[in-house]
Amino acid sequence: MTLKPTHALWLAALVSFALLPQFIAVKYYLHLSILALIWVIAAQGQNLIQGYTGYVSIVQAGFIGIGAYSTALMGLHYDLPVWLTILLAPVVTAVFALGIGYPSLRVKGHYFAIVTLAFNLVIFIVLMNWHTLTQGEAGITGIPKPGSPDGWFNWRDRETYYYFVLIVAALMTGLAALITRSRIGQVLIAIRQNEDLVGAIGISAWKYKLFAFVTSAMFAGLAGAIYAHYQSFINPEIFGVAQSLDAILAVIIGGSGTIAGPVIGAFFVVFLPEYLRFADSFRLIIYGLVLVLATIFMPRGIVGVATSFSDWFMRRRR
Amino acid sequence: MGDDTYMLNVIAYDDEANPTGASNAVRKLIDRDGVKFILGFCCSGATGAVASFIGNEDAVMLVGNAAERSITTRGISNLTRTRPPADYTGAAAGTFVADKGHKRVAVLGALDVGFYASYVDAFEKELNAAGGEIITREAFGLKDRDMTPQLTKIREQNPDAILVVGYVEPAAFIYRQAVELGIDVPRYGFTSGSEEQFLRVASSEQMEGVWDLRPTELTLLSATETGIAYHANYSARFGIAPSPSSPYAYDQTYALKHAIEAAGTVEDTAAVAAALRELPVPPEVVMQYLPVDGKMFDVNGQAYTSNGAFQWQDGNWVFVQDLPSDAAAYSAFLSTLD
Repeated sequence: MTLKPTHALWLAALVSFALLPQFIAVKYYLHLSILALIWVIAAQGQNLIQGYTGYVSIVQAGFIGIGAYSTALMGLHYDLPVWLTILLAPVVTAVFALGIGYPSLRVKGHYFAIVTLAFNLVIFIVLMNWHTLTQGEAGITGIPKPGSPDGWFNWRDRETYYYFVLIVAALMTGLAALITRSRIGQVLIAIRQNEDLVGAIGISAWKYKLFAFVTSAMFAGLAGAIYAHYQSFINPEIFGVAQSLDAILAVIIGGSGTIAGPVIGAFFVVFLPEYLRFADSFRLIIYGLVLVLATIFMPRGIVGVATSFSDWFMRRRR
Repeated sequence: MGDDTYMLNVIAYDDEANPTGASNAVRKLIDRDGVKFILGFCCSGATGAVASFIGNEDAVMLVGNAAERSITTRGISNLTRTRPPADYTGAAAGTFVADKGHKRVAVLGALDVGFYASYVDAFEKELNAAGGEIITREAFGLKDRDMTPQLTKIREQNPDAILVVGYVEPAAFIYRQAVELGIDVPRYGFTSGSEEQFLRVASSEQMEGVWDLRPTELTLLSATETGIAYHANYSARFGIAPSPSSPYAYDQTYALKHAIEAAGTVEDTAAVAAALRELPVPPEVVMQYLPVDGKMFDVNGQAYTSNGAFQWQDGNWVFVQDLPSDAAAYSAFLSTLD
């Protein structure tokens, strides 16, 4: 049995991620890596609806927020174990996504984007103003870490949390790969390429679109739940439209419609703004410029560029 | 400190007024730069995120003017704050307005912001205790400029007075439009805006008689000699008057200096944090603090400045009187929250 080059690359990436904490001397970078891995989960979800189905959804951060608030509130109000609330958070998010997706997916293209944007605004406003439930702008603090203080693992240790998030991100990436390689994934790609043709051969496209949208939201809900228990604090500011745009950018920059793209893009949107801190108030301008240039000159994202380079290299070798 | 001399090495990062951005910046300061004393923090959301983990860090956090009350109700031993929560001032304002004999007050404010909402809640409690009531709560947003619909509704309800809480620019439009709509009742506010800021929107005649009920902060008419000297030196050096936020940071620096000296260490952050809680008000501070049990910070790590009633008279904010502020009572109340 021979190992395919792509599988070897994935294995190498996984080993690199597993060894990463051993090479990080400053824990700040481990913190950023945890955030980036959380974004990997959300971006893989975004990729399902945006990259594979061709529908640009601008509500991913809203769903991350629903996941984060649902795990926090279930824990605080019903005293449920953290592991259970983390598992339930994507389910709660899926229920909301069903409600949002059904009307949203009746429209296409830019209209779909605008409708989802409106839903993100609604989610944000509700989180900000429903004080009795969400505590508004003040946010919810003291969200517990998983595990018990006298358990096997010290969950306050960032290295422990890193490995936990790495495992979840790897599993969700694997799940995304399974979906896209299944019959469902093939239908989603067909919808992206020609939705009318999909309908013409007797496939109910809306069911598949709704599946992609709800699954995408579940990925986001899980990411939000893990984020909430990592930071121990949430407030609505981080679940606004700007963060939904980050999810879209993570997919575009990494490589839309590829499994590796969201992984690369997630690290890009977390690390680049941090590395640009030296630029002070010019940071956002530089960040914006880099993104615009990347989008113009790398429409297939970093994965696309890497693939082109690899093809060119292989041709030269022959 | 002792025979040793230390130079301050200041490292500044933008918290982006965002919880994740603030967490990243503070993680960078502590983990990468080895910072032990972190000053600043002006936004409640960002501050709340950092406060959620700072208790486990080898660092001292001195919060400036982030005003969300819960920041100092969590029992975080290495956190102190110089600006009192908004409801502390709101309660004083409510008592003041009730003492003026107003029974029916209409509120127009940025009520989706927790900071302003808690001011109004505390205001209402004191007003109710004196037999008054808030007859309506109308909201506006940061970008709103036309407040005539809300004011027209308020006018129809015949209030005794109006209370305006929120950002300076929209508040200035409210004061102007209230005059234009012929609303002739006392106007009270909580904005902390300067004369220049209000005069960009409203004329001095339209502003005449407006009250601003707020912490005295660095208001020259209420400042000590140190405060007046700070104002003059700052203006001379930077060419502009100090912003209302700047004295909070300035006073934090001296509080930290004295705490380090009292603790006798720059390494043991727990000792410095404990010394902060025992610190009397340092002589160099530029704002007027109301010590609790003789200390600048109470058991919750909260400091209290005096509150003042300012009135617009002939183109200027004029300090009229201190507001009835009970720091000790508020401190005791704060200790009951979690």
